[in-house]
Amino acid sequence: MSDSLLERILEPGGLRAVFQPIFEVGVKARAADAARLPIHAVECLVRGPAGTNVESPDVLFEYARRKRAEGTVDRACAAAVLQEAAHLPGEPRVCLNVHASTLARDHEFGVFIGDVASSRGVSIDRITFEIVEHTLPGDAPSFLNALAGLRAVGASITLDHVGSGHSNYRMMLECRPNYFKVDDHFVHGAHTDFAREAVLESVVRLASRLGGRVIALGVEDDADLVAATRAGIDLVQGRALCGAVELERIAPFLEGRPAPQASEPPPA
Amino acid sequence: MTSRLLIVDDEEAILFALREYFTTLGYDVDCAREVEEAEALLSHVQYQVVMADLRLTKSHGAEGLEIIGAVRERCPWARIILLTAYGSAEVEAEARRRGADAFLYKPKPLAELARVIGELAGPVR
Repeated sequence: MSDSLLERILEPGGLRAVFQPIFEVGVKARAADAARLPIHAVECLVRGPAGTNVESPDVLFEYARRKRAEGTVDRACAAAVLQEAAHLPGEPRVCLNVHASTLARDHEFGVFIGDVASSRGVSIDRITFEIVEHTLPGDAPSFLNALAGLRAVGASITLDHVGSGHSNYRMMLECRPNYFKVDDHFVHGAHTDFAREAVLESVVRLASRLGGRVIALGVEDDADLVAATRAGIDLVQGRALCGAVELERIAPFLEGRPAPQASEPPPA
Repeated sequence: MTSRLLIVDDEEAILFALREYFTTLGYDVDCAREVEEAEALLSHVQYQVVMADLRLTKSHGAEGLEIIGAVRERCPWARIILLTAYGSAEVEAEARRRGADAFLYKPKPLAELARVIGELAGPVR
């Protein structure tokens, strides 16, 4: 066993992937329909070494940040999940999480991902980068250049947890994401809370004006699903439909699906 | 809710023994070997008691003092015990100034540690 926890994270097999689908839904969709709904994309999530404190992704990334190894861990996570994502049936669009600070600091991150994806047989235009952040990147021009570079090679951009933390109006303007993934804080409970519903509707209008689509994160039950679709959201993700599961469990779930609709073109 | 205990020590064998003992007593126990690992846990988990070794490296460090600050920032209600085999009156004074509730010299019998934790955290729920 490696002496340092960071070494354990970075050693082969230290990180493992789990996958959660993002479904395309209409206003009549219900959680019980999950097996028949088109899947727009699959988010690739990472878990740290089993049985350690960093098995939880929240603790993993907090630990990486405190070790000043965020960029190294982001690369390792992306490589680990792409290795498994290559085996997803139906070649779905795949979503990878990356910290804005990594994009700002690691100028070769896009090239690295392109090389890994290519070596695994995953076309770069199947990849959507989900931008997560706890602090705004200090070097905003580098961050924006990195986003432009990713777009130039055909990747899409999602702004994660819209409405919370640093996924604010400024980030929406600067990232110009293809997808606005609205935070579960606004989704869960929107069915009976007009204020949350108003937030969802406003994000839908904003995303539409900016040429993007909205994903409702954290759909926990049919009530959340109804609230999301009533607000005009047609992409949803959450345990009501399918939790985050290993490749062996997601693969049969993906097979034989109806094709998703074509995505909106990326904003100019 | 079970009382949650974070133990920080760089010796795997010590962590193993303490985890086993306090789990048997009914505590929900997490263990960390590094300052950064403890800080990451403190950012996401609420603890009733944090027990840390003063020295977490082979060199003459005093990382336990850093952990006191992290606890006071993220779990201000948590009670803190600092353990050391290399203590001094000055270090103890500094630990208490930073917010440690108890400063104990190693080795200490497990039953004595349990008594101190029980006094600080109250009975295990």
